[in-house]
Amino acid sequence: MAGKRKKSDGEEGGGGEDEPVIKKEKTKKEILPSMIKNKDKRSEIHAKLQHQKKLDKRKRAKARDAAIKRALELGEEPPAPKIPRTIENTREFDETVCMPDDEELFAGNDADEFSSIMNRERTPKILITTCRFNSTRGPAFISELLSVIPNAHYYKRGTYDLKKIVEYANNKEFTSIIVVHTNRREPDALLVMTLPNGPTAHFKLSNLVLRKDIKNHGNPTSHEPELILHGFTTRLGHRVGRLFQSLFPQDPDFHGRRVVTFHNQRDFIFFRHHRYVFETKETKQTDSKGTKTKDAKDKVSQEKIKARLQECGPKFTLKLISLQNGTFDTKGGEYEWVHKPEMDTSRRRFFL
Amino acid sequence: MPRTTTLECPGCPPLRALTFDVLVIEARSKEGGAAKVVERWGEPDSSKCVLAASMVDRKKDPLLAVARKNGTIDFLNPLNGHLRFAISNVSDTANRPEDDPISGLHLFASKKLDSEYGCCTLLACTMKGKAIMRSYDNTLSPDLISSGSTRTWDVCSSGNILCSKVDGSENYVLFGGKGVEMNVWDLSECAKIWTAKSPPKNSLGIFTPTWFTSATFLSKDDHRKFVAGTNSHQVRLYDISAQRRPVMSFDFKETPIKAVAEDLDGHTIYVGNGSGDLSAFDMRTDLPPLHHTLLAGPSHAIGSTLKHGKLLGSFLGKCSGSIKSIARLPEHPVVASCGLDSYLRLWDVKTRQLLSAVFLKQHLVRVVFDSNFTSEDAVGSTRDPSVEEAETVNEYENGDEQDTQPVKRKKSSKEKKANKKSKKKSNSNETSADDEGTKKIKKFKSKKRLKREIPDDSS
Repeated sequence: MAGKRKKSDGEEGGGGEDEPVIKKEKTKKEILPSMIKNKDKRSEIHAKLQHQKKLDKRKRAKARDAAIKRALELGEEPPAPKIPRTIENTREFDETVCMPDDEELFAGNDADEFSSIMNRERTPKILITTCRFNSTRGPAFISELLSVIPNAHYYKRGTYDLKKIVEYANNKEFTSIIVVHTNRREPDALLVMTLPNGPTAHFKLSNLVLRKDIKNHGNPTSHEPELILHGFTTRLGHRVGRLFQSLFPQDPDFHGRRVVTFHNQRDFIFFRHHRYVFETKETKQTDSKGTKTKDAKDKVSQEKIKARLQECGPKFTLKLISLQNGTFDTKGGEYEWVHKPEMDTSRRRFFL
Repeated sequence: MPRTTTLECPGCPPLRALTFDVLVIEARSKEGGAAKVVERWGEPDSSKCVLAASMVDRKKDPLLAVARKNGTIDFLNPLNGHLRFAISNVSDTANRPEDDPISGLHLFASKKLDSEYGCCTLLACTMKGKAIMRSYDNTLSPDLISSGSTRTWDVCSSGNILCSKVDGSENYVLFGGKGVEMNVWDLSECAKIWTAKSPPKNSLGIFTPTWFTSATFLSKDDHRKFVAGTNSHQVRLYDISAQRRPVMSFDFKETPIKAVAEDLDGHTIYVGNGSGDLSAFDMRTDLPPLHHTLLAGPSHAIGSTLKHGKLLGSFLGKCSGSIKSIARLPEHPVVASCGLDSYLRLWDVKTRQLLSAVFLKQHLVRVVFDSNFTSEDAVGSTRDPSVEEAETVNEYENGDEQDTQPVKRKKSSKEKKANKKSKKKSNSNETSADDEGTKKIKKFKSKKRLKREIPDDSS
């Protein structure tokens, strides 16, 4: 598709310079390699075309480099590098994208289910459980989740209904429940529930890499981690972001230099867990003081400070399947958002 | 879906809809091709969340009643959102309103309870089955509210009332809910006249628990036939005069039915469910048998006498959140739906195309049409009748905002329209001038422009 579109663009550009009459004839005469029936001939012409394209590309790159060099020699501003067109920056217009000056959004935030945790009226207390059958990677993943999320408690699932567990957790004043669902000894879904009255998010979990499988991994400390939420733009995304935020304590311990990232890109949420360190080359001593913002200021003043990252794991990818209003209830539940196949009609449409 | 986005909205009729919100901000939306919020009333406050709403839709002195989470019922003027008066704690009980929230509300258009002077009569029903009918009078002064005669009765002893509906003649009311079978009450005597019987166990001997989530009368004049939606995604048609079990029963998708609304023709209903599917059904039982079996297939489960409703079609749009309320505009073939995805959507009844969708930022609870809107507005200010108007009311609290604002906005939108038109005209003028004058230089450019012009003109 992309190749075709480019070709047609090229035609238009080329035709524009000439007389329009000639252009029409040209388009009539032009034969695409795919229209040739003889395979030998077709592949020959195709190879030729590809080669020509490659040469053109190289030429353009050379010209661009020359232009930059010349500009630098003349002391001018070099031409701005072109921004590649991606499906994110050509995303379909979405009116639900949150604007920072939206008062109604903040008013809504103040009244939603997470506000009591955000305002530090309640401290997050997480119950982690599994599906009925659980083995191998499931428990390993849970033990790592326990090290990532402070104040998380693992309870064996047993044969209890999830609704019973919700009731139990409500009585014990838990603020969230995480259910790790495994299939064929591999965790494949995550259910995150905010108590006492919703919402419930159901994620598909994929690309799980545990700590021991990460090369040069670090071991996290027990400090409370910082949280980075990136790319949650729409109302739905905002809500999901707040759901993740409510899992972590709202007062991070910056001494620990631990950071947990939820990065949303094209509706896939990437989870990463890192330790960072700021190093100054001059004094050759590890800089472990102050907050992140402070350090950023230092960075501006003396340029020798460098940040280094060490991954602690686990890492995994989440994709939202549904967001349900209220706690877990598959039969009588009302959905705020469900993924439906009819939504997948465009590659440039994102919901988070 | 690409089909719906490319389709032009064929001259939306002027309309105004009020929507009610979980986070209560009241807003109007106005429509000229694309719907727009015209006005919002009130400050967001989670304790004043709207639970139910009802409107008296008359030419003179319309009134809007809004039940809130903290137990108060506010009476508003639906034209400008001014708070007429408010009543707190209608149920007069010791327990807190949060424990026993109001689930149904109806404002009577005709005067009831021998109140010749009374300005409005209200029927409210709480979750635990307490029904209150009361008339209020505030004609003397807005502060002094004298309540006239009051009638209170218990609809059910156990279970939760989730849906209630008053019929067109306002003599009968039906209730239903979780653990409560549908029952019909005569309002003039406050007596239960009919109770439904739950359908028998299925072939596996499993009994589905009673859980009605929505109900509506099939036609305005007939109180005997009504349609109810259940939590186990069933739509049932009851006929009081025929039998106590449903006359017709069929499944709709896989999530609970959350909203049912009737059409004016007396046999079509609109059904919305918990995952955002909206469909129209023909509920006639006396369709020709051949025709019927062809369309609906063999009837299944429950009983051989039961038939399927005929699925007329689904309303497709990218609707992904539970539908909470559906409303039909009486004068025009337009249906509005709103729900947890915080969109108010307007659909064409015949083509089932999406006319427009307005994003209202909060979870919506109810949508109500103001059917007298156009005529009133035409009298009040000379407005372009082609401009469609939908009023959306998202409620939290009613600190009234300026009523001059909507007028201003209307004007501005008009101006914008005019600007656009003039721009178009000037554009075409430019291109023609270009063609005549600097032909060689701008040939390509003007060509492009012309290309752009052509589809514009045709559309």
